[in-house]
Amino acid sequence: MSASDAPGISRRRVLGLAGAAAAAAGLAACGSGAPESDSAPGGGEDGTFTVYWNPGHHYEAYQKVIKEFEEEHGVTVRMQMYQWEELETRLLADLQAGRAPDVLEEPGGWAQRYALSGDALSLRKYLDEDGKAMGFPDDWQPATVRHNTHAGEVYGIQLHMTCQLLVYNREMFADAGVRPPTTWDEVVDVAKELTHDGVYGLQLNQDQAYGWPWMLQNGVLDYNHTTKKVMQPQDAAMEALQFQADLVHRHEVSPVPVPSKDYSAPQKALSAKRAAMIVTGPWDLPVIKQSSPDLEYGIAQMPTGRRQSTILAGTSMFIPKKAPRPDLSWDFIKRLTTLETELAATAETGMLMPRRSWAAKPEVKGNADIAAFAQGLTYAEDAHPQTYLSGKGTELDQAWKTLYQSVLMTGESVPSAYREYTDTARAIIAD
Amino acid sequence: MRSPAPRAVPEARRTPIARREARTAYLFLAPALVFFAVFFYTPIADILNTSTLTGPHADRFDGLGNYADAFRDPAARNSFKVTLLFAVGTTVGAIVLGLALALLANRQLRGRTLFRLALLVPYLTSIAVIGLLWQNILDPQTGILNRVLDELGLPTQQWLITHPLATIVAVTLWMISGYTMMLFLAGLQGIPQVYYEAATVDGAGPWRRFFSITLPLLAPTTLFVSVMAVISGLQAFGQAYIITGGGPAKQTDLYVYHVYETAFRDRDFGYSSALSVLLMLVIVAFTVVQLRAGRRGEVQY
Repeated sequence: MSASDAPGISRRRVLGLAGAAAAAAGLAACGSGAPESDSAPGGGEDGTFTVYWNPGHHYEAYQKVIKEFEEEHGVTVRMQMYQWEELETRLLADLQAGRAPDVLEEPGGWAQRYALSGDALSLRKYLDEDGKAMGFPDDWQPATVRHNTHAGEVYGIQLHMTCQLLVYNREMFADAGVRPPTTWDEVVDVAKELTHDGVYGLQLNQDQAYGWPWMLQNGVLDYNHTTKKVMQPQDAAMEALQFQADLVHRHEVSPVPVPSKDYSAPQKALSAKRAAMIVTGPWDLPVIKQSSPDLEYGIAQMPTGRRQSTILAGTSMFIPKKAPRPDLSWDFIKRLTTLETELAATAETGMLMPRRSWAAKPEVKGNADIAAFAQGLTYAEDAHPQTYLSGKGTELDQAWKTLYQSVLMTGESVPSAYREYTDTARAIIAD
Repeated sequence: MRSPAPRAVPEARRTPIARREARTAYLFLAPALVFFAVFFYTPIADILNTSTLTGPHADRFDGLGNYADAFRDPAARNSFKVTLLFAVGTTVGAIVLGLALALLANRQLRGRTLFRLALLVPYLTSIAVIGLLWQNILDPQTGILNRVLDELGLPTQQWLITHPLATIVAVTLWMISGYTMMLFLAGLQGIPQVYYEAATVDGAGPWRRFFSITLPLLAPTTLFVSVMAVISGLQAFGQAYIITGGGPAKQTDLYVYHVYETAFRDRDFGYSSALSVLLMLVIVAFTVVQLRAGRRGEVQY
């Protein structure tokens, strides 16, 4: 019997099976089933208390408090570190699989969004008991309370409170004989003076969130839940977009941002002395100090468009509704938001905090970097105060990302990109 | 009158030896079947079920609504178009480059083994590493490529902005060409030398030998490479996730990345499951068409 007559699987059949297996593998990988898991969250039975946290915020000041928490409650705290996108992927996979961590840190807006979908625990019971003793809400900046409230109930407690300002290279400014800009016209003029020999006057960020300070300075609201309109007033929105596009394509004082998930390109350029000025928050200052100890940086307030404004940022903590031990979770939140812990974290990292009593402390007022950002907080605004109410916040952000990238990266005309955005956004909201 | 169809051998007529062999075969197959059941068939069944559900918790029955939405969704259409271009680019490129490299590697060269190994290393490296590597090389402002071009007095590039899809196709080809080279090399070494000798005696030149002997006899390998390249091209994810984030302006929004974003950013597991099922159907259709076309093109001497 020849080989070709032998019973078995033909080459064609093998190829077919290989194709089918590969297709099945892709399908299985795309599924919504329980994801791969290196550890189960919410392990209440085995004394493990699971926290999802951002690796950039794993401060010594918090570790000390966590150690005390472990000793008092006889549990082991497992801090699982994820960047924000991966953290949400993990959280959603958990919720889909019917489980949740004990508590988690979020980058802003999630507490309201998960409250709307019924996945976050209302803190009313705990705040009724402990609110007065911990100074909530009176000792918290009002914006941080609004930011975590849905339908009159508080779902999250602010951990950090920050904003974006202009951070610049003092030496370059001195050499060019210019001062930090205070208006949009000055932004262009100063950036032109500073742009030469491979150095850009102002480097814009590829991350679409960094476009919002300019939009807010023109009084743009990204979604109005009453009128269901997006990105209004239209003329103000288009003017702010055109201003940013012109910095890149017309005046060429900013490099074309490169699409990526990394928002640190401007910080790296400033540290490498290839950008004279960037828009960022206090989180970049330790990195700049470490990577370029000889760089003397300055912090300036945001310039004024139709008004002075910048984006209010900062993280919060919330408890998933399916958290196994919410009482312990609440105690964890309380300990991490005491004034003493806030001051220790600020002393360690320079991070800004949401308590009013924190802002009044002499050690806070006496630090030039912190004082500059604290001043920014007086006019900083939530960029998306009503967006979560649409139930389509992430889809609208994706549409904004496309608009931002279209005008800044691909050089599409603002009217055309804006029209495409509004068409997409209307369809998203109507869906 | 039709002749009676051959009847299957009844179970009762199987010999004890045959039955024992069958049991042994199933015993050996059992681990693989369990593995596939747990890690493939169960998730696939779950996805088929989830694709009929809707809502942030995927808990409301919607029938075929998600499938209907997929055909109306311009974002899904865009990501499919982008992915199709990506798959075509990587498949054609993988065949051309892989074959060219295999022809080079098949020659008597000094350091041939090292050459083959060097070309295979990118394929053995994670897409995450490769993505970050090329992102750092290609970055217009801080990347090493522009520094080199600048030093040489050549114009600098912004390919991640000006030609994002072509750039990730090129990065993918850099990654997979070593593997396709190995496949073509195995195919080349399976062609009997006597065909070339006979053709040379008949006066055939190098091009004639290539087009009349090498290429036709490599048809099975080419078919295999094309099937696998199309499948992996349609399933590509890391290139968009690591290098471009799907941008700029959705120009590299690969389909599986779009599915991921739909599931884990937009929290629409029902719709993302339907998109996954549609991708599987497309892959199966492509594979069947390729296999049939390949069967017709086979040559034997």
